[in-house]
Amino acid sequence: MDSSAANVSYKRNEKKILNKTNVMLYLMILPPLLLYYVFHYIPMPGIMLAFQRYGISGFKYWVGVENFQYIFGTPFFWRAFRNNWVFVFFSYAFVTPAPILFALLLNEIRVKWYKKTVQTISTLPNFVTWVVIAGIFIQLLSPSRGYVNYIVQFFGGEPIYFLSKPALFPWLFTFMRIWKGVGYSSIIYLAALAGVDPQLYEAAVIDGAGRLRQTWHVTLPGIRNTIVVLIVLSFSHVLSGLFEPIFVLKNAYIESTAEILDTYIFELGITRGKYYLATAIGLFKSTISMMLLFFANFLSKRVTEDGRSIL
Amino acid sequence: MLKRSLGEKVFNVFNLIGFFLFTLLMLIPITFVIKTSLDVSPVGELQLSLLPQEPSLLFYRLVIQDESVWRPFMNSIIVTVLGTSFSMLINALGAYTLSKKELPGSRFFIYFLIIIPMLFGGGIVPSYLLIRALGLIDTLPVLFVPNMASGWNMILIRNYYWSIPQSLGESARIDGAQEFTVFFKIILPLSKPVLSAIALFTGVGYWNTFMAAVLYIRDSRKYTFPVKLRELIILGGDSEKNFEEMMMQLGLDPAEHYLTIEGLSSAMMIVSMVPIVLIYPYLQKYFAKGIMVGSIKG
Repeated sequence: MDSSAANVSYKRNEKKILNKTNVMLYLMILPPLLLYYVFHYIPMPGIMLAFQRYGISGFKYWVGVENFQYIFGTPFFWRAFRNNWVFVFFSYAFVTPAPILFALLLNEIRVKWYKKTVQTISTLPNFVTWVVIAGIFIQLLSPSRGYVNYIVQFFGGEPIYFLSKPALFPWLFTFMRIWKGVGYSSIIYLAALAGVDPQLYEAAVIDGAGRLRQTWHVTLPGIRNTIVVLIVLSFSHVLSGLFEPIFVLKNAYIESTAEILDTYIFELGITRGKYYLATAIGLFKSTISMMLLFFANFLSKRVTEDGRSIL
Repeated sequence: MLKRSLGEKVFNVFNLIGFFLFTLLMLIPITFVIKTSLDVSPVGELQLSLLPQEPSLLFYRLVIQDESVWRPFMNSIIVTVLGTSFSMLINALGAYTLSKKELPGSRFFIYFLIIIPMLFGGGIVPSYLLIRALGLIDTLPVLFVPNMASGWNMILIRNYYWSIPQSLGESARIDGAQEFTVFFKIILPLSKPVLSAIALFTGVGYWNTFMAAVLYIRDSRKYTFPVKLRELIILGGDSEKNFEEMMMQLGLDPAEHYLTIEGLSSAMMIVSMVPIVLIYPYLQKYFAKGIMVGSIKG
């Protein structure tokens, strides 16, 4: 075969979408596509359950918005809804700023091995499951053998059942979240801090700025973008991500402050089999999440330098 | 040249002390659990000691010998090994397809794998009903098959493939190599850093499998380690009786040894942390390497 003819047939082959190369490439991505189809796409229409009920013999019939009217009429739903937003508040008030503060302070430490040791120790709990973290704190706060109650008793108090007190729960939970996550979350800020141009500090020193003013005028502006982007990105999942820790820590005494939408959906849907009501709450929650996602996307375009969007 | 004011010196000292106390705050809870796991003394007065009063490895013996404890441990290992291997294979292959910008349909894949799933989902009830209909309740594969494919990980791996010089694949292709060969012989060996980083994080995720097991596993023989642990921590009081039976079966006299649920669950917590601590130095290597930054940039 002469070479030009071979060339032509090669080109023709290139043009066809289903040439040998492309078919191979499609085969390579087939497993993820199939898995996504089965486990993400097939359940999607199941959201219709929110507008249905089961009849006596198991067939489904449409009830319109009746399920929503029902859940909006129950105090348990509103309790979970309110608690969810309380945790959102605690997230932004304490859990989000903690790693920023941690990184700023750690960045001031000039002793390298000290810095490294602190980081190594504080990052580890991030990889430990919430079940273990909860177990550690349940023991630590235990009235019969925990350290904390030893201190309480030492100062003349009676042992306290910390994890059975509704008013304390949001605070204790926030403490645990920071304890578990502060080291890991600070990594990205420390990386941003390392990227701040040292010349800026020198210039600030020449201008007579002390450490505090250097932090305010050089360090913080240097990591402002990272902070803003991370906060904006977090908007879309403020209502999720707490199922596991809450599920592990929740007990009958503290339900009034610990129950959130996700755990309520689980309780209603999986434990008690009220599929349609749980799905209605799920749809309500994901509608809010989706609105927050679009809001975050809109903000992200404005706050990032290159106008990058999330979607 | 470095002139420091008094204020700065004071700050530095306080900062160093502050971080020392912070480190203690991180370590004490863990040492407390280690102590509890080694202590077989009766619960008496509250004490502050860091050392067990009656040291013993009995709780660890229970973890190894009692089937209701070691079986969940084995299940977690199976889920971790199989889940991580399959997941890496599938995502590394899929990412290769995603890395071909000119391939017809590449935009569709991004929508199908990332954007649409991010926007719409059935929620846990429809997923639960699907898993039940598929007959996957109370099987181990349900703990890793549904989340084996990960669009985000594929994007991360794809971004790394993009950094590999195109010419490497081209020259192999001219020599007549097919895409599979190019992938396995050239791309895969060059992608070790990103693949090992993602494998480690995926592995930790599977090791900590809890939610899926709570949703889909009823049979205690199929429990994962964290689920068994939760049962002991939360329902500790209720299973006190079983605990005595457990000891009898191992030939231990409950009256002779003072064993507590706390001790056993502490030993389990330590055991479940051991693999994490072992791979931790490797995990740490990848923190800084932009894996996180990459995941945020998507």
